[in-house]
Amino acid sequence: MVLTDNNFIFRLKGVLDFSCQFDSFNEAHTRSSISKAFQVLRSRISSESLVFIVCNSPILLWPNKSFHSTLDSLREDTPCRDVQQHIEVEDGARKSSKKRDKKDTGPVVVNLKLLMEVTEAGNSAALSLCRVMKKQRCVTVPLCMDCVIGAGGCDALGSVCAGLVAALHAQLSDMEETLLKYKKETTFPLPQPFHFQLPESDRLLTIIYPAGVSDDQLLSVREELHRKHCLLADRPYFRRSNAFHFPGEPYKDGYLRNPHTHLTAPSIDDAKLYVVRGVYSYHHYMQDRVDDNGWGCAYRSLQTICSWFLQQGYTERSVPTHKQIQQALVDVGDKEPSFVGSRQWIGSIEVQAVLNQLLGVNSKILFVSRGSELTSKGRELANHFQTEGTPIMVGGGVLAHTILGVAWSETSGQIRFLILDPHYTGGEDLQSITDKGWCGWKGPEFWDQNAYYNLCLPQTPKII
Amino acid sequence: MGRGYIVEESVEKYLTNLSAAAGSCETGLFIGQCSAQRDFVVLAVQTPHRETEGATEGKRTPSSLDSIDVEWVAEHARQVSRMLPGGVSILGLFLIAPPEVSKEAQNTLKKFVFAVDKSLSKNKLWDLSEDDVTERITLHICSKTRKAICRTFDVKDPKCSAKPADWRYQSGISSSWPLITCNVQLDLQIPVTSENVDGSIKDQLRTWAKQIEAALCLINGKAVTDDSELLSGPKKGTKASQQQSFKAQILVSAEDTDASQMSSAVVHECSGSVCVRGTVHCRAYIHTNKPKTRHAAQALKRDVMNTVFSRVEMLLEDLLMSEGDLACGQQDLPRRVFAPIFGSGLSVCDYIFPDESTADVAERFKEMLGFDVSEREMDIGVEAPTCCSVLGVEDGCDEATDNVPMQSSAETVPKKEAAIQYAAGVVVAAAVALLATVTSLLYLTD
Repeated sequence: MVLTDNNFIFRLKGVLDFSCQFDSFNEAHTRSSISKAFQVLRSRISSESLVFIVCNSPILLWPNKSFHSTLDSLREDTPCRDVQQHIEVEDGARKSSKKRDKKDTGPVVVNLKLLMEVTEAGNSAALSLCRVMKKQRCVTVPLCMDCVIGAGGCDALGSVCAGLVAALHAQLSDMEETLLKYKKETTFPLPQPFHFQLPESDRLLTIIYPAGVSDDQLLSVREELHRKHCLLADRPYFRRSNAFHFPGEPYKDGYLRNPHTHLTAPSIDDAKLYVVRGVYSYHHYMQDRVDDNGWGCAYRSLQTICSWFLQQGYTERSVPTHKQIQQALVDVGDKEPSFVGSRQWIGSIEVQAVLNQLLGVNSKILFVSRGSELTSKGRELANHFQTEGTPIMVGGGVLAHTILGVAWSETSGQIRFLILDPHYTGGEDLQSITDKGWCGWKGPEFWDQNAYYNLCLPQTPKII
Repeated sequence: MGRGYIVEESVEKYLTNLSAAAGSCETGLFIGQCSAQRDFVVLAVQTPHRETEGATEGKRTPSSLDSIDVEWVAEHARQVSRMLPGGVSILGLFLIAPPEVSKEAQNTLKKFVFAVDKSLSKNKLWDLSEDDVTERITLHICSKTRKAICRTFDVKDPKCSAKPADWRYQSGISSSWPLITCNVQLDLQIPVTSENVDGSIKDQLRTWAKQIEAALCLINGKAVTDDSELLSGPKKGTKASQQQSFKAQILVSAEDTDASQMSSAVVHECSGSVCVRGTVHCRAYIHTNKPKTRHAAQALKRDVMNTVFSRVEMLLEDLLMSEGDLACGQQDLPRRVFAPIFGSGLSVCDYIFPDESTADVAERFKEMLGFDVSEREMDIGVEAPTCCSVLGVEDGCDEATDNVPMQSSAETVPKKEAAIQYAAGVVVAAAVALLATVTSLLYLTD
């Protein structure tokens, strides 16, 4: 999907219950029973009973019933963008989306849900009950289907629906493969779909992973995927946390993501933007019911960095708490055990040590003896964001901050710093955070000209 | 001012006749529909007299309140509730008693109300919702003075006291109640994981029922919403006496709440499986006092759940009584047949086993609901029989004609007889000959 206004993602979700009975110790029979049970599901999604409901709208579609819809105005050849006008947007959501309209040029996501009609017009066979007595094993696996297809606004609704039905079929086959591959004697893993957007690609790729099998155990699967899609093995693309985040889908943890994307870039002649790659979450004072006002800024900056590594798929470790950070410093011998639970500051060197201890991430340290020198570090910083793309923690003589990018002109040497300030104590209100400069572009005067600074530049490990 | 009851005039006549005839105690049920504002009582049915060793008619009627068999009243209610379509339920009880015991009447009625409620709630796949009316009506009629006292009890509260109610007769109250119908397909594959087959089946039916309860319902192609009204449009033009009918569709989705929390499904050992498959015809009626579509949908969904559960239960009860186990292979569950309630727009239903005849059904309508239905009036075509059950019905017919005199005198628990007939029906040997008879009969009736 090209990320432009007139493009749509149709996303269909719903649960299909896979239920299967098979002989205890006959692998061949088990496999054929599983495949038969999938055949039942396939015939179900090919049947006229299949219904798609467009979420928050009165639209119901019967894709296999010679394209039947509950709205007369929606026919097979209706452009699919017309669906949008029937979708009710909650008042609050509409307001904020209007405000961000300028920035949010991502595709429009139309959510659909899979239903099955159980009523029928005809009068078929009466109710009967059939009993089979045979010692067997049985299993019921809820298959959480999640299909996406991209569409241009002019594409016919009929073809979109047909595309979704085809995607359902394909996903069932993928799930069957996953089930067969990862099933155990006594348990069947839940096959879970994940969508990935490949670099330079305009479409989403859906991969099925077995639930309960960790990313580390799936390394060989990812290696295969990297080969298949000609991707360098220098960074993770197919870990679960790399999964595509659909526009409009809320993050459950409540932290703001990438607030800097809502800022207007500074206008400097010849300047280019060099900013953080991927997604981080904004960690700052007073979050997680921890009152760290006055001492926790470096911890928060470190948390932001950790959140970046987590969300880029480098680690499955959750963002460490203040205590965990302190414990890690004790573990590496940097601090005395009494440090845990204290309210002592940490600096860039400690951040470097914790990243190494908890995430196995190495960092470079850039030292400047006075703040005024930071202005001349444009090339180094630009280079960092181009090659590593990680947020930089900056500390030293004074307060700690996070550098998310620079706008730098190679010719004039002019520079602006994109700063994320961990000292913010308010709620997760994007508007006030960007308006009041808690996340904002700062000039050279932002730095204390006479204080020294240590910059911690985390380096990305070459893993997939 | 208590709860309001609009009561069909024929109920008054029925009660008057009954109290005139009764020298002692009589009990019975009120049948109709609840709504938020008021309840509609459409029918009153007397509790049939329990058979004791061949005593003659009228002699065994209970003479004191203590001698009324509560369990019998509750069992009657349970049997009757199976015969009611969606939207129609048992609303309460009446008691006709001589003046000597009138002091005790309220307590007795309260006891009955709770016994009936207990018996009915055991047989449901669904739970009452917040808006369900939990007040039940009781009418105590003095057999001498014919004075009637109307009180309600709240079955939610065992400590409740009798509350007054407003009881008003009106004619033709249900003659134009809209009818909502649908045919629901089932295809349930039930692994039998426990010793107890019945338990496995009922558990699976409960899961299925949850899906139905949560399902999206369309009425005449339009999705049911919270406050849309069922009867809209050019209402003034249409005559009030005309019964409108609506087609419903039910759209289910599997629950994904469990799925998001689990990472794997456990493989169970099972001793076999039971498959429940086929189509059931479902009906619901709803009053004409500004009914909401969601109430119509709820009534219909409850009918879907009830009709499936009743049939499975009937089969299992049958087996229990004949001390048989659920046999291997396919067996037909009883088919649903409908019969109109005289003087109302409503129908009641019954279930016909493959080896039973319409005469058996007519007999049960008489027994349970106290009214005569000719076989001609019965609607037996709503559910298509399978080939096999056509034979069964025909076979039952033959038996029934032989059995008619015996049945009319001594049939109180028809199911028992049905079970035996059913067992007989299974071993039909003269299938070919019967098929010929059926074809010729069908030909003739055409």
